[in-house]
Amino acid sequence: MANTLLDLSNELAESVSTAGNAVVRVEARRRLPASGFAWSHDGVIVTAHHVIEHEDNIRIGLPGGDAVPATLVGRDPATDLAVLRVQGASLPSPTWAEPESVRVGHLVLALGRPGKSVLATLGIVSALGESWRTPAGGQVHRYLQPDVAMYPGFSGGPLVAATGQVIGLNTTALLRGATVTIPAPTIRRVVEALLAYGKVKRGHLGVAVQPARLPAAIAKQFRQETGLLVTSVEPGSPAERAALVLGDTLVTFAGEPVRYPDDLLALLSGDRVGTTVPVQVLHGGRLQEVKVTIGERP
Amino acid sequence: MPTTAHQLNAELATLVERVERSLVQVRNGRRGVGAGTVWHPAGLIVTSAHVASDGPLRVAFPNGGSLPARILAHDPDRDLAALVVDATGLPTIEVGRSRDLRPGQLVLALGHPWGVPGAITTGVVVGVGSDLPGMPHSRQPWVVVNVRLRPGHSGGPLIDAQGRMVAINTLLTGPAMGMAVPVDVVKAFLREAMGVRRVAA
Repeated sequence: MANTLLDLSNELAESVSTAGNAVVRVEARRRLPASGFAWSHDGVIVTAHHVIEHEDNIRIGLPGGDAVPATLVGRDPATDLAVLRVQGASLPSPTWAEPESVRVGHLVLALGRPGKSVLATLGIVSALGESWRTPAGGQVHRYLQPDVAMYPGFSGGPLVAATGQVIGLNTTALLRGATVTIPAPTIRRVVEALLAYGKVKRGHLGVAVQPARLPAAIAKQFRQETGLLVTSVEPGSPAERAALVLGDTLVTFAGEPVRYPDDLLALLSGDRVGTTVPVQVLHGGRLQEVKVTIGERP
Repeated sequence: MPTTAHQLNAELATLVERVERSLVQVRNGRRGVGAGTVWHPAGLIVTSAHVASDGPLRVAFPNGGSLPARILAHDPDRDLAALVVDATGLPTIEVGRSRDLRPGQLVLALGHPWGVPGAITTGVVVGVGSDLPGMPHSRQPWVVVNVRLRPGHSGGPLIDAQGRMVAINTLLTGPAMGMAVPVDVVKAFLREAMGVRRVAA
Protein backbone atom coordinates (compact mmCIF):
# COMPACT_ATOMS: atom_id res chain seq x y z
CA MET A 1 0.00 0.00 0.00
CA ALA A 2 1.25 3.46 -0.85
CA ASN A 3 2.03 5.44 2.26
CA THR A 4 2.05 9.09 1.31
CA LEU A 5 1.84 10.25 4.91
CA LEU A 6 4.91 8.29 5.93
CA ASP A 7 6.79 9.37 2.79
CA LEU A 8 6.00 13.01 3.53
CA SER A 9 7.09 12.62 7.15
CA ASN A 10 10.36 10.97 6.12
CA GLU A 11 11.06 13.62 3.47
CA LEU A 12 10.50 16.43 5.99
CA ALA A 13 12.88 14.80 8.47
CA GLU A 14 15.42 14.23 5.68
CA SER A 15 15.19 17.89 4.62
CA VAL A 16 15.85 18.96 8.21
CA SER A 17 18.79 16.62 8.48
CA THR A 18 20.37 17.72 5.18
CA ALA A 19 19.83 21.47 5.53
CA GLY A 20 20.70 21.19 9.23
CA ASN A 21 24.31 20.35 8.33
CA ALA A 22 24.77 24.01 7.42
CA VAL A 23 22.96 25.42 10.48
CA VAL A 24 25.07 26.69 13.39
CA ARG A 25 24.58 28.07 16.88
CA VAL A 26 25.53 31.74 17.27
CA GLU A 27 26.69 32.70 20.77
CA ALA A 28 26.89 36.49 20.81
CA ARG A 29 24.46 37.53 23.51
CA ARG A 30 24.07 36.94 27.21
CA ARG A 31 20.77 35.11 27.17
CA LEU A 32 19.80 32.29 24.83
CA PRO A 33 22.08 31.69 21.81
CA ALA A 34 20.60 32.15 18.34
CA SER A 35 21.09 30.53 14.94
CA GLY A 36 22.92 31.14 11.69
CA PHE A 37 23.94 29.14 8.64
CA ALA A 38 26.84 28.68 6.26
CA TRP A 39 26.87 31.04 3.29
CA SER A 40 29.92 29.52 1.64
CA HIS A 41 32.10 26.54 2.49
CA ASP A 42 35.08 28.78 3.39
CA GLY A 43 33.66 29.74 6.77
CA VAL A 44 31.35 32.68 5.96
CA ILE A 45 28.21 32.51 8.09
CA VAL A 46 25.06 34.61 7.87
CA THR A 47 22.92 35.38 10.88
CA ALA A 48 20.57 38.07 12.18
CA HIS A 49 22.02 41.44 13.21
CA HIS A 50 19.83 41.68 16.32
CA VAL A 51 21.22 38.50 17.89
CA ILE A 52 24.78 39.92 17.91
CA GLU A 53 24.84 41.81 21.19
CA HIS A 54 28.58 41.61 21.80
CA GLU A 55 31.04 41.80 18.91
CA ASP A 56 33.97 40.34 20.85
CA ASN A 57 34.19 36.74 21.88
CA ILE A 58 31.59 35.44 19.42
CA ARG A 59 31.42 31.67 19.32
CA ILE A 60 29.87 29.36 16.76
CA GLY A 61 28.48 25.93 17.61
CA LEU A 62 29.12 23.59 14.69
CA PRO A 63 26.82 20.71 13.69
CA GLY A 64 29.49 18.23 14.79
CA GLY A 65 29.38 19.56 18.35
CA ASP A 66 32.54 21.71 18.42
CA ALA A 67 32.38 25.37 19.36
CA VAL A 68 34.83 27.68 17.55
CA PRO A 69 35.58 31.42 17.75
CA ALA A 70 34.20 33.69 15.02
CA THR A 71 34.86 37.26 13.96
CA LEU A 72 32.23 39.77 12.91
CA VAL A 73 32.72 40.74 9.26
CA GLY A 74 29.98 43.33 9.40
CA ARG A 75 26.32 43.96 10.07
CA ASP A 76 23.43 45.74 8.41
CA PRO A 77 20.77 46.79 10.91
CA ALA A 78 18.49 47.94 8.08
CA THR A 79 17.99 44.37 6.83
CA ASP A 80 18.78 42.71 10.20
CA LEU A 81 21.64 40.74 8.65
CA ALA A 82 25.13 40.08 9.96
CA VAL A 83 28.08 38.18 8.54
CA LEU A 84 30.53 36.17 10.62
CA ARG A 85 33.66 34.29 9.69
CA VAL A 86 35.12 31.19 11.30
CA GLN A 87 38.69 30.13 10.56
CA GLY A 88 39.57 26.64 9.53
CA ALA A 89 36.07 25.23 9.74
CA SER A 90 34.54 23.81 6.63
CA LEU A 91 30.76 23.80 6.54
CA PRO A 92 28.66 22.56 3.66
CA SER A 93 27.00 25.55 2.03
CA PRO A 94 23.30 24.94 1.62
CA THR A 95 21.42 24.26 -1.59
CA TRP A 96 19.29 27.29 -2.44
CA ALA A 97 15.77 27.21 -3.78
CA GLU A 98 15.01 28.97 -7.07
CA PRO A 99 13.35 32.21 -5.83
CA GLU A 100 10.58 31.86 -8.44
CA SER A 101 9.74 28.34 -7.27
CA VAL A 102 8.38 29.55 -3.91
CA ARG A 103 4.58 29.87 -3.82
CA VAL A 104 2.00 30.82 -1.20
CA GLY A 105 0.80 27.62 0.47
CA HIS A 106 4.02 25.66 0.08
CA LEU A 107 5.14 23.65 3.10
CA VAL A 108 8.22 25.15 4.72
CA LEU A 109 10.38 24.39 7.76
CA ALA A 110 12.10 26.85 10.06
CA LEU A 111 15.42 25.49 11.32
CA GLY A 112 17.53 26.59 14.23
CA ARG A 113 20.32 25.37 16.45
CA PRO A 114 20.05 27.31 19.71
CA GLY A 115 21.39 24.24 21.54
CA LYS A 116 23.44 21.27 20.41
CA SER A 117 21.03 19.73 17.93
CA VAL A 118 19.15 21.14 15.00
CA LEU A 119 15.48 21.88 15.70
CA ALA A 120 12.61 22.37 13.28
CA THR A 121 9.08 23.72 13.04
CA LEU A 122 6.65 23.34 10.14
CA GLY A 123 4.35 25.81 8.46
CA ILE A 124 3.44 27.22 5.09
CA VAL A 125 4.37 30.26 3.03
CA SER A 126 1.65 32.72 4.11
CA ALA A 127 2.36 35.75 1.97
CA LEU A 128 4.58 36.75 -0.90
CA GLY A 129 4.88 40.29 -2.17
CA GLU A 130 6.88 42.83 -4.06
CA SER A 131 10.12 44.33 -2.87
CA TRP A 132 9.72 46.31 0.34
CA ARG A 133 11.58 48.63 2.64
CA THR A 134 12.04 47.74 6.29
CA PRO A 135 11.17 50.32 8.97
CA ALA A 136 14.95 50.81 9.38
CA GLY A 137 15.30 51.66 5.69
CA GLY A 138 16.64 48.41 4.29
CA GLN A 139 15.68 47.37 0.77
CA VAL A 140 14.44 43.78 0.62
CA HIS A 141 14.11 42.07 -2.75
CA ARG A 142 10.79 40.39 -1.93
CA TYR A 143 8.29 40.20 0.91
CA LEU A 144 8.06 36.65 2.26
CA GLN A 145 6.09 35.78 5.38
CA PRO A 146 5.85 32.19 6.63
CA ASP A 147 3.53 31.05 9.44
CA VAL A 148 6.21 28.89 11.07
CA ALA A 149 6.51 29.01 14.85
CA MET A 150 9.82 30.56 15.84
CA TYR A 151 11.22 28.50 18.72
CA PRO A 152 13.43 30.54 21.12
CA GLY A 153 16.78 31.13 19.39
CA PHE A 154 15.50 30.51 15.84
CA SER A 155 16.26 34.03 14.56
CA GLY A 156 19.09 33.94 12.02
CA GLY A 157 18.25 30.38 10.98
CA PRO A 158 17.07 29.38 7.51
CA LEU A 159 13.60 28.90 6.09
CA VAL A 160 13.79 25.60 4.23
CA ALA A 161 11.42 24.27 1.58
CA ALA A 162 9.82 20.92 2.43
CA THR A 163 12.00 19.56 -0.37
CA GLY A 164 15.16 20.66 1.45
CA GLN A 165 16.37 23.82 -0.31
CA VAL A 166 17.06 27.01 1.63
CA ILE A 167 14.68 29.90 0.84
CA GLY A 168 16.06 32.64 3.08
CA LEU A 169 16.88 33.79 6.61
CA ASN A 170 14.18 34.10 9.29
CA THR A 171 13.97 37.03 11.67
CA THR A 172 11.38 38.20 14.16
CA ALA A 173 12.98 41.61 14.67
CA LEU A 174 12.17 43.45 11.43
CA LEU A 175 8.40 43.59 11.89
CA ARG A 176 6.46 43.61 15.12
CA GLY A 177 4.48 40.42 15.64
CA ALA A 178 5.50 38.73 12.38
CA THR A 179 8.27 36.49 11.18
CA VAL A 180 9.71 37.54 7.85
CA THR A 181 12.20 35.73 5.68
CA ILE A 182 14.99 37.67 3.99
CA PRO A 183 15.29 36.11 0.53
CA ALA A 184 18.54 34.96 -1.08
CA PRO A 185 19.08 37.93 -3.47
CA THR A 186 18.95 40.38 -0.55
CA ILE A 187 21.29 38.24 1.55
CA ARG A 188 23.68 38.05 -1.40
CA ARG A 189 23.71 41.84 -1.86
CA VAL A 190 24.31 42.46 1.84
CA VAL A 191 26.92 39.70 2.24
CA GLU A 192 28.88 40.98 -0.77
CA ALA A 193 28.81 44.56 0.56
CA LEU A 194 29.85 43.47 4.04
CA LEU A 195 32.66 41.26 2.74
CA ALA A 196 33.92 44.10 0.51
CA TYR A 197 33.46 47.16 2.76
CA GLY A 198 32.45 45.85 6.19
CA LYS A 199 29.21 47.77 5.92
CA VAL A 200 26.31 48.47 3.58
CA LYS A 201 26.60 51.87 1.94
CA ARG A 202 23.76 54.24 2.80
CA GLY A 203 23.13 57.81 1.69
CA HIS A 204 23.42 60.60 4.23
CA LEU A 205 21.87 64.06 4.33
CA GLY A 206 22.53 65.21 7.89
CA VAL A 207 19.11 66.49 8.94
CA ALA A 208 16.50 65.56 11.49
CA VAL A 209 12.97 65.94 10.13
CA GLN A 210 9.37 65.55 11.14
CA PRO A 211 6.19 65.63 9.04
CA ALA A 212 4.54 69.06 8.86
CA ARG A 213 1.35 70.22 7.13
CA LEU A 214 2.08 72.18 3.93
CA PRO A 215 0.37 75.55 3.21
CA ALA A 216 -2.86 75.06 1.25
CA ALA A 217 -1.53 76.47 -2.02
CA ILE A 218 1.58 74.28 -2.00
CA ALA A 219 -0.45 71.24 -0.91
CA LYS A 220 -2.76 71.77 -3.87
CA GLN A 221 0.06 72.39 -6.34
CA PHE A 222 1.93 69.22 -5.32
CA ARG A 223 -1.14 67.15 -4.34
CA GLN A 224 0.69 66.47 -1.10
CA GLU A 225 -0.64 67.17 2.41
CA THR A 226 2.65 67.07 4.32
CA GLY A 227 6.33 67.81 3.84
CA LEU A 228 9.31 67.32 6.14
CA LEU A 229 10.15 70.10 8.59
CA VAL A 230 13.88 70.31 9.27
CA THR A 231 14.38 70.31 13.04
CA SER A 232 18.18 70.18 13.06
CA VAL A 233 21.09 70.34 10.63
CA GLU A 234 24.34 68.54 11.36
CA PRO A 235 27.41 70.81 11.04
CA GLY A 236 29.51 70.05 7.95
CA SER A 237 26.84 67.74 6.52
CA PRO A 238 25.61 67.63 2.89
CA ALA A 239 22.48 69.47 4.10
CA GLU A 240 24.50 72.34 5.57
CA ARG A 241 26.63 72.62 2.43
CA ALA A 242 23.39 72.93 0.44
CA ALA A 243 22.36 75.78 2.79
CA LEU A 244 19.38 73.95 4.29
CA VAL A 245 18.51 75.49 7.64
CA LEU A 246 16.36 74.80 10.67
CA GLY A 247 12.71 75.57 9.84
CA ASP A 248 12.93 74.69 6.14
CA THR A 249 10.31 72.22 4.91
CA LEU A 250 11.36 69.64 2.31
CA VAL A 251 8.60 69.06 -0.29
CA THR A 252 10.33 66.89 -2.87
CA PHE A 253 13.68 65.11 -2.97
CA ALA A 254 15.23 63.93 -6.24
CA GLY A 255 11.89 64.56 -7.92
CA GLU A 256 9.90 62.40 -5.47
CA PRO A 257 7.42 63.63 -2.84
CA VAL A 258 8.62 63.38 0.76
CA ARG A 259 5.56 63.17 3.02
CA TYR A 260 7.03 61.12 5.88
CA PRO A 261 10.57 60.49 7.17
CA ASP A 262 10.47 56.96 5.65
CA ASP A 263 10.08 58.49 2.19
CA LEU A 264 13.36 60.37 2.63
CA LEU A 265 15.08 57.31 4.11
CA ALA A 266 14.05 55.27 1.09
CA LEU A 267 15.48 57.86 -1.29
CA LEU A 268 18.86 57.90 0.50
CA SER A 269 19.92 54.55 -0.95
CA GLY A 270 23.56 53.55 -1.26
CA ASP A 271 23.69 53.97 -5.05
CA ARG A 272 22.89 57.70 -4.67
CA VAL A 273 26.02 58.44 -2.61
CA GLY A 274 28.06 61.13 -4.39
CA THR A 275 25.26 62.13 -6.75
CA THR A 276 23.68 65.59 -6.78
CA VAL A 277 19.89 65.77 -6.65
CA PRO A 278 17.36 68.64 -6.74
CA VAL A 279 15.39 69.35 -3.56
CA GLN A 280 12.29 71.56 -3.47
CA VAL A 281 12.09 73.28 -0.14
CA LEU A 282 9.89 75.87 1.58
CA HIS A 283 12.28 78.50 2.92
CA GLY A 284 10.73 81.44 4.76
CA GLY A 285 7.40 80.57 3.16
CA ARG A 286 8.78 80.57 -0.38
CA LEU A 287 9.37 77.57 -2.57
CA GLN A 288 12.99 77.20 -3.69
CA GLU A 289 15.00 74.52 -5.41
CA VAL A 290 18.44 73.66 -4.04
CA LYS A 291 21.00 71.07 -5.16
CA VAL A 292 22.24 68.57 -2.60
CA THR A 293 25.21 66.25 -3.05
CA ILE A 294 24.37 63.10 -1.08
CA GLY A 295 27.03 61.97 1.35
CA GLU A 296 27.73 58.55 2.79
CA ARG A 297 26.38 57.64 6.19
CA PRO A 298 29.31 57.23 8.57
CA MET B 1 -7.12 9.71 -10.70
CA PRO B 2 -6.35 10.02 -6.99
CA THR B 3 -4.30 13.06 -6.16
CA THR B 4 -1.66 13.11 -3.46
CA ALA B 5 -3.88 15.21 -1.18
CA HIS B 6 -6.73 12.75 -1.69
CA GLN B 7 -4.41 9.90 -0.77
CA LEU B 8 -3.12 11.80 2.28
CA ASN B 9 -6.66 12.45 3.51
CA ALA B 10 -7.65 8.81 3.12
CA GLU B 11 -4.55 7.63 4.97
CA LEU B 12 -5.04 10.14 7.79
CA ALA B 13 -8.68 9.15 8.26
CA THR B 14 -7.76 5.44 8.38
CA LEU B 15 -4.92 6.11 10.80
CA VAL B 16 -7.07 8.20 13.15
CA GLU B 17 -9.88 5.64 13.11
CA ARG B 18 -7.45 2.88 14.10
CA VAL B 19 -5.62 4.77 16.83
CA GLU B 20 -8.65 6.41 18.44
CA ARG B 21 -9.94 3.05 19.60
CA SER B 22 -7.15 3.09 22.19
CA LEU B 23 -7.78 6.66 23.35
CA VAL B 24 -9.64 6.97 26.65
CA GLN B 25 -10.80 9.82 28.82
CA VAL B 26 -9.76 9.97 32.46
CA ARG B 27 -12.54 11.29 34.70
CA ASN B 28 -12.58 12.47 38.25
CA GLY B 29 -16.20 12.07 39.30
CA ARG B 30 -18.20 13.45 36.37
CA ARG B 31 -15.45 15.79 35.21
CA GLY B 32 -13.05 14.88 32.40
CA VAL B 33 -9.52 15.64 33.58
CA GLY B 34 -7.46 14.43 30.65
CA ALA B 35 -6.70 11.62 28.26
CA GLY B 36 -5.08 8.22 28.47
CA THR B 37 -4.01 5.36 26.23
CA VAL B 38 -4.71 1.64 26.41
CA TRP B 39 -1.30 -0.01 26.73
CA HIS B 40 -2.34 -3.60 27.51
CA PRO B 41 -5.59 -5.40 26.60
CA ALA B 42 -6.06 -6.56 30.21
CA GLY B 43 -6.86 -3.06 31.42
CA LEU B 44 -3.54 -1.20 31.67
CA ILE B 45 -3.89 2.51 30.86
CA VAL B 46 -1.04 5.05 30.75
CA THR B 47 -1.59 8.75 31.36
CA SER B 48 0.06 11.81 32.92
CA ALA B 49 0.60 11.97 36.68
CA HIS B 50 -1.06 15.41 36.79
CA VAL B 51 -4.18 13.92 35.17
CA ALA B 52 -4.44 11.09 37.70
CA SER B 53 -3.56 13.19 40.73
CA ASP B 54 -6.52 12.37 42.94
CA GLY B 55 -9.48 10.03 42.80
CA PRO B 56 -12.04 8.57 42.53
CA LEU B 57 -10.99 8.02 38.94
CA ARG B 58 -12.95 6.50 36.09
CA VAL B 59 -11.84 5.68 32.57
CA ALA B 60 -14.30 6.34 29.74
CA PHE B 61 -13.95 4.41 26.49
CA PRO B 62 -14.74 5.60 22.95
CA ASN B 63 -17.79 3.29 22.81
CA GLY B 64 -19.41 5.19 25.65
CA GLY B 65 -18.77 2.81 28.51
CA SER B 66 -16.73 3.65 31.58
CA LEU B 67 -15.04 1.73 34.37
CA PRO B 68 -13.61 2.65 37.76
CA ALA B 69 -9.82 2.81 37.74
CA ARG B 70 -7.19 2.36 40.41
CA ILE B 71 -3.72 3.87 40.33
CA LEU B 72 -1.04 1.22 39.84
CA ALA B 73 1.89 3.66 39.75
CA HIS B 74 2.25 7.42 39.96
CA ASP B 75 5.44 9.39 39.29
CA PRO B 76 5.15 13.20 39.46
CA ASP B 77 8.84 13.63 38.46
CA ARG B 78 8.33 12.01 35.09
CA ASP B 79 4.67 13.11 35.07
CA LEU B 80 3.48 9.56 34.38
CA ALA B 81 0.78 7.35 35.87
CA ALA B 82 -0.40 3.82 35.21
CA LEU B 83 -4.07 3.00 35.81
CA VAL B 84 -5.76 -0.37 35.92
CA VAL B 85 -9.37 -1.11 35.02
CA ASP B 86 -11.13 -4.46 35.29
CA ALA B 87 -11.38 -5.39 31.62
CA THR B 88 -10.04 -7.74 28.99
CA GLY B 89 -9.57 -7.50 25.25
CA LEU B 90 -9.16 -3.74 25.13
CA PRO B 91 -7.79 -2.40 21.81
CA THR B 92 -4.15 -1.46 22.47
CA ILE B 93 -2.06 1.12 20.74
CA GLU B 94 1.00 0.11 18.76
CA VAL B 95 4.09 1.31 20.62
CA GLY B 96 7.02 2.90 18.77
CA ARG B 97 10.49 4.03 19.83
CA SER B 98 11.13 7.65 20.79
CA ARG B 99 14.90 7.36 20.31
CA ASP B 100 14.23 7.10 16.54
CA LEU B 101 12.36 10.42 16.40
CA ARG B 102 13.79 13.03 14.04
CA PRO B 103 13.21 16.80 13.94
CA GLY B 104 10.73 17.66 11.21
CA GLN B 105 8.88 14.37 11.14
CA LEU B 106 5.08 14.46 11.30
CA VAL B 107 3.26 13.63 14.53
CA LEU B 108 -0.38 13.67 15.65
CA ALA B 109 -1.62 14.42 19.16
CA LEU B 110 -4.82 12.75 20.39
CA GLY B 111 -6.86 13.90 23.35
CA HIS B 112 -9.85 15.90 24.50
CA PRO B 113 -8.76 19.57 24.24
CA TRP B 114 -11.06 21.78 26.34
CA GLY B 115 -13.23 18.68 26.76
CA VAL B 116 -13.83 18.07 23.05
CA PRO B 117 -13.77 14.27 22.94
CA GLY B 118 -11.44 12.41 20.62
CA ALA B 119 -9.87 15.40 18.91
CA ILE B 120 -6.73 15.15 16.82
CA THR B 121 -4.18 17.79 15.90
CA THR B 122 -1.02 17.58 13.89
CA GLY B 123 2.45 19.09 13.63
CA VAL B 124 6.09 18.06 13.69
CA VAL B 125 8.79 17.04 16.13
CA VAL B 126 10.91 20.10 16.98
CA GLY B 127 13.57 18.12 18.79
CA VAL B 128 14.26 15.50 21.44
CA GLY B 129 16.49 15.97 24.47
CA SER B 130 16.87 17.09 28.05
CA ASP B 131 18.75 20.32 27.35
CA LEU B 132 16.72 22.06 24.70
CA PRO B 133 16.57 25.86 25.07
CA GLY B 134 13.55 27.31 26.81
CA MET B 135 12.84 24.07 28.61
CA PRO B 136 12.20 23.65 32.34
CA HIS B 137 15.23 22.27 34.15
CA SER B 138 15.07 18.51 34.38
CA ARG B 139 17.29 15.57 33.68
CA GLN B 140 14.50 13.81 31.85
CA PRO B 141 14.42 13.86 28.06
CA TRP B 142 11.41 15.46 26.37
CA VAL B 143 9.94 15.42 22.93
CA VAL B 144 9.31 19.05 21.98
CA VAL B 145 6.52 19.29 19.42
CA ASN B 146 5.25 22.02 17.13
CA VAL B 147 1.66 20.97 17.90
CA ARG B 148 -1.22 22.97 19.37
CA LEU B 149 -1.54 21.11 22.67
CA ARG B 150 -4.32 22.32 24.95
CA PRO B 151 -5.71 21.37 28.37
CA GLY B 152 -7.33 17.96 27.88
CA HIS B 153 -4.58 16.67 25.61
CA SER B 154 -2.58 15.69 28.70
CA GLY B 155 -2.08 11.94 29.03
CA GLY B 156 -3.10 11.27 25.44
CA PRO B 157 -0.82 9.66 22.89
CA LEU B 158 1.46 11.41 20.45
CA ILE B 159 1.71 9.18 17.40
CA ASP B 160 3.94 9.07 14.33
CA ALA B 161 2.90 8.78 10.66
CA GLN B 162 2.47 5.03 11.09
CA GLY B 163 0.15 5.33 14.07
CA ARG B 164 2.72 4.22 16.63
CA MET B 165 2.73 5.88 20.02
CA VAL B 166 6.00 7.78 20.42
CA ALA B 167 5.24 10.00 23.46
CA ILE B 168 2.58 11.14 25.94
CA ASN B 169 1.25 14.69 25.55
CA THR B 170 2.16 16.51 28.74
CA LEU B 171 2.19 20.29 28.63
CA LEU B 172 1.85 23.27 26.37
CA THR B 173 4.68 25.77 26.34
CA GLY B 174 3.39 28.18 23.70
CA PRO B 175 0.50 28.71 21.30
CA ALA B 176 1.88 26.14 18.86
CA MET B 177 4.41 24.41 21.07
CA GLY B 178 4.24 21.61 23.57
CA MET B 179 6.21 18.96 25.40
CA ALA B 180 5.62 15.23 25.55
CA VAL B 181 7.17 12.42 27.59
CA PRO B 182 9.09 10.07 25.23
CA VAL B 183 7.61 6.59 25.02
CA ASP B 184 11.00 5.06 25.93
CA VAL B 185 10.64 6.80 29.32
CA VAL B 186 7.10 5.39 29.58
CA LYS B 187 8.43 1.87 28.96
CA ALA B 188 11.02 2.24 31.73
CA PHE B 189 8.36 3.62 34.08
CA LEU B 190 6.07 0.65 33.40
CA ARG B 191 8.87 -1.87 33.86
CA GLU B 192 9.54 -0.35 37.28
CA ALA B 193 5.83 -0.25 38.06
CA MET B 194 5.57 -3.96 37.31
CA GLY B 195 8.58 -4.65 39.51
CA VAL B 196 10.78 -5.66 36.60
CA ARG B 197 14.42 -4.73 37.14
CA ARG B 198 16.42 -3.71 34.16
CA VAL B 199 19.20 -6.17 33.45
CA ALA B 200 22.22 -5.05 31.46
CA ALA B 201 22.50 -7.18 28.36
